[in-house]
Amino acid sequence: MADIAPTESIEELRNSFAYGSRSDLNFKFTRDLSDREFGDFLSAMFAATARVADGGDPLDVVNVAYEWQVQAYAGHLGDPDKFPHRKTDTPLTVMTKPLTEAKIMLLTSSGHFVDGDDPEPFGETNMSQTEAETRIVEFVKSEATLSAIPVDTPTDKIRVRHGGYPVQAAAMDPQVVLPLEHLCSLVADGAIGSLAENAYSFVGATAQGHIKRTYGPTWAQLAKDQGADAVLLVPI
Amino acid sequence: MPTVSVYVKSFGHIPELMGLSRSVITQHPMGRPLGAPGDGERQRAVINMALGLLANSDPTIVEFPEPYRLA
Repeated sequence: MADIAPTESIEELRNSFAYGSRSDLNFKFTRDLSDREFGDFLSAMFAATARVADGGDPLDVVNVAYEWQVQAYAGHLGDPDKFPHRKTDTPLTVMTKPLTEAKIMLLTSSGHFVDGDDPEPFGETNMSQTEAETRIVEFVKSEATLSAIPVDTPTDKIRVRHGGYPVQAAAMDPQVVLPLEHLCSLVADGAIGSLAENAYSFVGATAQGHIKRTYGPTWAQLAKDQGADAVLLVPI
Repeated sequence: MPTVSVYVKSFGHIPELMGLSRSVITQHPMGRPLGAPGDGERQRAVINMALGLLANSDPTIVEFPEPYRLA
């Protein structure tokens, strides 16, 4: 609390949830609301909380936050015509075999890694989630590091760190974004043929131009080298 | 390489902007694209929908029809 000024504008309050004094990545979207929208958001959250206090559905609170999150991010990229990574075509590669015979590779930008194989961003060992959030600008400018996660890795050996999104759900249950158990189950059931030996994860808050120009082709080759017939992408 | 992606609705405008071939959009909060922690049934349903799109030979963006739920 020591770094909070004695007076605070509504804008400062909104921004404090996005890497500020009250940083909470579940609510960093408040940065993208107007002051009036922020007031309406708080009012809706208070009303939903009061309903829960009187026996209402706790999901109401989640839904209010979700609806405002969607509204806030709808325009966060600005004019679509000026979006630097916009494509006007949609390249599509057709599957050449049925899913029951296909080998699937999983790639996610969740920031997961295997315990003992920490990517050690910026050469730092055991970086905390809080520090990752503090250094988000450095991550966004840095090279991407891909972590290989053998698909049979026990869930309790999987770690996560990512300065760009709220990781508590992904830490509590990696399957929310890294669905290794479900994919293995689908193989056992015969719904898909097999899995690539490794799944891959990286911190998606990274230099986007490098991903398009360099990492994209390299990682596509990685999938081919693993014999994958298709890739399931789960961006965060 | 055939691909399919899963996005939360907050970023559901990205697949079209970036010309992605096949995408599922979920009505889930950021950080939980496949479902809530512990909601294996929902997580599997989203994965099944996504993998099902791989057979499509035309660009496809679909929304998973069910709202977020707690486990």
